[in-house]
Amino acid sequence: MSKFKKGGKKGIPGVNTSALPDIIFMLLFFFMVATTMKEVELQVTLEKPVANQAIPIEDKDNVDFIYIGFPIDAEEGTEPRIQLDDRLAPDYTVVSLWKEQKAREGKTPFDIVTSLKVDENVGMRIVSNVKEELRDIDAIKINYSADQTK
Amino acid sequence: MARRKIEEINAGSMADIAFLLLIFFLVTTTMEVDAGLGKTLPLKLDDPPITNPPVPERNVLEIKANLNDKLMVEQEEVQVEELYEIAYTFYTANRINNDENINMPNYNPITLDQCNDQIINYKNQLQTHPGDKYLKNELNKWQAKRELCMESPNKSYKEIAKSAVVKFEIQSKTSYGLYIEIHNILKTVVNDLRVDMCDKMKWDDYYELNENDPDDQAIIKKLRILVPERIIEPKIES
Repeated sequence: MSKFKKGGKKGIPGVNTSALPDIIFMLLFFFMVATTMKEVELQVTLEKPVANQAIPIEDKDNVDFIYIGFPIDAEEGTEPRIQLDDRLAPDYTVVSLWKEQKAREGKTPFDIVTSLKVDENVGMRIVSNVKEELRDIDAIKINYSADQTK
Repeated sequence: MARRKIEEINAGSMADIAFLLLIFFLVTTTMEVDAGLGKTLPLKLDDPPITNPPVPERNVLEIKANLNDKLMVEQEEVQVEELYEIAYTFYTANRINNDENINMPNYNPITLDQCNDQIINYKNQLQTHPGDKYLKNELNKWQAKRELCMESPNKSYKEIAKSAVVKFEIQSKTSYGLYIEIHNILKTVVNDLRVDMCDKMKWDDYYELNENDPDDQAIIKKLRILVPERIIEPKIES
């Protein structure tokens, strides 16, 4: 009767995990496509305002970012500060110099859009100063960063 | 010779490697899309004119935002929510007929003859000053206006007064949030009017226009003439 029964241990077979890497890779690719790299480590608060007419920035390579907000580090005081790349700028007068140094090969400051990422609680004085600095070097294309929805 | 069975590669750690990559990407990337309102600041002039030509009061919509984020439009305190209506009226009050009793900018008819005259005028001027950016710009504008005339019934269309402008004054403590909110409202008005205009002229949908497509560029140029977005921001007084 027990023609097919051969002795030996009978246990629950292990789960086949050979498809696991595929699943994980799929997740990986999803995240690679759907997300973007962080540009900098923020050192200022950045609560962006909402503007439903905002348009996504497409050519991110030709955009410089200036962050303005209240310093997260309490030692830096409570006045709004400007962050250029990874550092807090001592004051707004260095903005034009920084912008000129960032100029790409064969392009003038005029060609590169400057995106202002500003905390919505910051007063306009500092923003206005930065804009004047940018005007001085003809970097007149700017973009006020805002979220499209809440 | 005995056939040796090829050992299968152990793929068990593949999942671990993939996990590691996945976690790396999760940590270093962000989901948010970068969006914003694009603006072009006024170019700095080498020799700015000392006196500006007078602008009729009716052509200026004066918006002031103070340090407490309160709004004043044309000497009256208003709420932010009312601004859309006010700005919309500013653009459209005299769109059909000029009514001298309404204190809003007039619309002037542009005719085909006028365009032709101006085009000849600027072409002549360009011959004496070749390479002048301002003249080139004006010539371009009038050529677009000429096309607009051709597309319009009766070969003529109406254009808002040349000096119609929104004057947006802020103070040094006005919050950036309010500043953007107001710019957003003004942009909404302009965009809504441009959408209407696209409908009326039977052009493509405004939001589908592609800035890199030559045909669409021509439409955008015309829309900028029909519904201009002119905002001036005086310097903050300290």
